[in-house]
Amino acid sequence: MSTPALAHAAPHHDAEENKFQLFVQIAMLLAVITGIEIITVYLPFASWLLVTTLVVFSAVKFMFVIFIFMHLRWDKPFCTILFFIGLILASGTMWALLKLFGAAASIPLSSAGMIDGLGLLR
Amino acid sequence: MSTAAAGAIDHHHDPTTSTGIPNKKLLMWAFLASDCMFFGCLISTHLIYRLHPPPGVPAARQIFSIELTSFSTFILLMSSLMMALAVNAIQKGNLRSMRASILTTILFGSIFLGCQVYEFNNFVYEKHLTITNSILGSTFFTLTGTHGTHVAIGVLWLTLMYVRSFKPSGPEAAKGTWLLLSFVHLIVFAATLVLSMYLVLHFTRAAQASGFSGGTCLSFVGSQYPAILGAITGFLALRWFAQPRGAVDFDQHNAVDVEMMGLYWHFVDIVWIVIFTAVYLLEYIS
Repeated sequence: MSTPALAHAAPHHDAEENKFQLFVQIAMLLAVITGIEIITVYLPFASWLLVTTLVVFSAVKFMFVIFIFMHLRWDKPFCTILFFIGLILASGTMWALLKLFGAAASIPLSSAGMIDGLGLLR
Repeated sequence: MSTAAAGAIDHHHDPTTSTGIPNKKLLMWAFLASDCMFFGCLISTHLIYRLHPPPGVPAARQIFSIELTSFSTFILLMSSLMMALAVNAIQKGNLRSMRASILTTILFGSIFLGCQVYEFNNFVYEKHLTITNSILGSTFFTLTGTHGTHVAIGVLWLTLMYVRSFKPSGPEAAKGTWLLLSFVHLIVFAATLVLSMYLVLHFTRAAQASGFSGGTCLSFVGSQYPAILGAITGFLALRWFAQPRGAVDFDQHNAVDVEMMGLYWHFVDIVWIVIFTAVYLLEYIS
């Protein structure tokens, strides 16, 4: 009886040890990505490329934190679904607002670009 | 399940609820999902006015300090690591390790808050950016101030959990003296934290004004000795409170409470990950 129990306990202990190491490794990775992000903004590349790179880096950091630090990887999928409902709604709202206010007719009348365009500043 | 066989607690599944998820955890995930929308709107508002700024808005790049913000970001990331380690420790029943990790998380959270106070002070008094004098100030202070408030609530929650972990088990708990003691513990903790932050901020300001030297240190000690004595007394009192006094009513069964608090703390971190990119880094792309 004791042999199977021991055999069961050893992998459990290893899994816990690995979790500790995993947390530390992920934290180091997040710190490195943050460092790369800071360097990225000074690189002489096209703006759209830099913005895309920064958004991808942020998304990667975001996913690492929610799936590893917040345990979504080990929890029931319902937690992931619940959180992603909020996340998708928030992302959709952000996208819609940025698109709405980006359209020429929706640019705030007080914005510098609009005033320039109307020739009111000159 | 394997849990029963090993005699340990399964921290990811709860067979007593209809969803199989501890209700407290489910509540926190639902709250965080709603908070995503809240922050999403604040970030969008800031971005819209950055993309279409009214005339006369100050250049954000000349106001922001990328060094300070990068340091705060790093500190908050490390606090997230310590929070994850605290949850891991209590799930294994290691109370001592959990307390150490929570204390480190509180320390890192306080450093982040200190950096924010310093940053706001600098923006208002030196860069003349206030919440009312430009749209940049309005959206920036509203967004980062709301995030800072979340961090402050997280620090308070962590402190409450730390104090709670000293609740004695058995007849001692029924006497009610622990309630009074824990209240005093909380007050001492808060006072020591605030005093320490006050000293660090004032020392930074003094060192900036007249350079870092022995003379600056001596004059700082001379002018701030009541606060320094208060902070030292506070640390000694906290050490006294932390001394072991027998069995406590805090173990693996409280892991879900710590995990719930951890979820909140990590959320604060992920919101900052987005703010750091959307509010600060994008300003540096020319």
